[in-house]
Amino acid sequence: MTEPITTMPSPFRMDYTYVAGTGRSVFLRGLAERRLMARCCAGCEQVYLPPPEFCSRCLRELEPPFELDGRGVVSTFCVVSFPFPGQRIDPPYVVAHIQPHGAGTRLMHLVREVEPEDVHIGMAVEPVWVSDDELDTSLLSIRHFRPVHYGGADA
Amino acid sequence: MRDVAVVSFAQSPCQAANRRDDMADILLPVIREAVYAAGIGRDDVDFVVSGSHDFYEGRTFSYIESLDAVGAWPPISESHVESDAAWALAEAWSWLQLGEGDIALVYGIGRGSLPADLDQVVPAQLDPYFLAPLAPHRDAIAGLQAHAAIEAGLTSEQGMAEVVVRCLDAATGNPLAQRSGQVDVARLLDAPYVSSPLREHDVAPIGDAAAVVVLAADDAARRLAERPAWVRGLDHRMDTHYPGVRDLTTSPSTRRAVGRAAELAGFTTSDVDIAELHTEYSHQEAILTNALELNGAVVNPSGGPLAGRPVTATGLIRIGEAARQIRDGNADRALAHATSGQALQQNLVCLLEGDG
Repeated sequence: MTEPITTMPSPFRMDYTYVAGTGRSVFLRGLAERRLMARCCAGCEQVYLPPPEFCSRCLRELEPPFELDGRGVVSTFCVVSFPFPGQRIDPPYVVAHIQPHGAGTRLMHLVREVEPEDVHIGMAVEPVWVSDDELDTSLLSIRHFRPVHYGGADA
Repeated sequence: MRDVAVVSFAQSPCQAANRRDDMADILLPVIREAVYAAGIGRDDVDFVVSGSHDFYEGRTFSYIESLDAVGAWPPISESHVESDAAWALAEAWSWLQLGEGDIALVYGIGRGSLPADLDQVVPAQLDPYFLAPLAPHRDAIAGLQAHAAIEAGLTSEQGMAEVVVRCLDAATGNPLAQRSGQVDVARLLDAPYVSSPLREHDVAPIGDAAAVVVLAADDAARRLAERPAWVRGLDHRMDTHYPGVRDLTTSPSTRRAVGRAAELAGFTTSDVDIAELHTEYSHQEAILTNALELNGAVVNPSGGPLAGRPVTATGLIRIGEAARQIRDGNADRALAHATSGQALQQNLVCLLEGDG
């Protein structure tokens, strides 16, 4: 009886162009200047960060972009403690949803400069930007968020 | 059966590469145009269904991004096919037949410009055992089919060039075409081969566009369109996956689909005034004309895919264009054909009719 073939090589490599679109481009270009650009929907008053070109609820173009300072609070987080291929930093580390003040949506990023066990929902955080020569049209222009203390108390 | 009709159609211009708009941005104005032309609001749409392919987008569940342009907030009946959007229209037609609602919005997004090299992508659509390891050129299987079709006497390089000349000439009347103009056969035949006997002009130019069709049933259709393009018959079939098993000069699945569609419609393709065929290559027009038994119909008055092929929107555009000819009063009966897969592997036939 013929032994079944159980494995065979299937080497695929596919390169793609991604098109950011006009809405995302506003946000990404802002990041290269250490600016967080948000946009508001005049229909439902949702403030998007990052903003698309139009509101997916009202289907109308968003209002002109305006800048937020990036300070906000941790709305939820988890501690990644498992190593995986391609990981950029050693576990354990904190991945969080940040709710920037003035935004109706949340931004996902790292929270560092704090022990994971000291992070909590509602913690006030601020962005830590990379140096000038590392700035790019990328969320990696923000190195991470870190706790910010207003006179010792959380916001 | 319920009477279901195309009441509205819109598409964005076929572009070789749209680097400005993301998926939702391409789609939103086209949905607006189609919905506005039908004289309805978003809330009047009972069902939304789309077609696109992750191979072209380079990420999984890519079509989810397009839902931002739909207003996809619950409760919504929504679906997607991983294929040409003509198959999404088939799903919408079935859904309307079930009587769940009266108005369906069908859209197709095709962005063939995103893969940096289609020669990397096409093998991924083939079987991983016998074909993919060979890494055939994107047009190689079509070249096999074209050569076989010429050898069988169905067409010739000259005949294929004549198809291209006719289509590009027709496309001069289509402002949304990617390619158009007056060219002559002798000049086309001077061009080098891409994958012999195919030259560049024989290969439908791949690009980016979105298309939207609004379907409505019974009284809704009569209310929304002055002259609805009734879908009288629709069927789709597929041939086996491995091209080596098939006689590439014939298209049994097209023959079977048109047979069933004609049975539903109560008229045959010899009664059809115009036919929009999803010809990804010029030689396929002869194979399809045979399989469909077209007799005197004007083929691809829009210019057809040889004037613009926004990948998975291309088949839906055939239905939209065929319906347009009826709605504008240029045709009483029309045929639309869509294909998917290599060398006409899967085929869909839609027979449309205007009120007499």
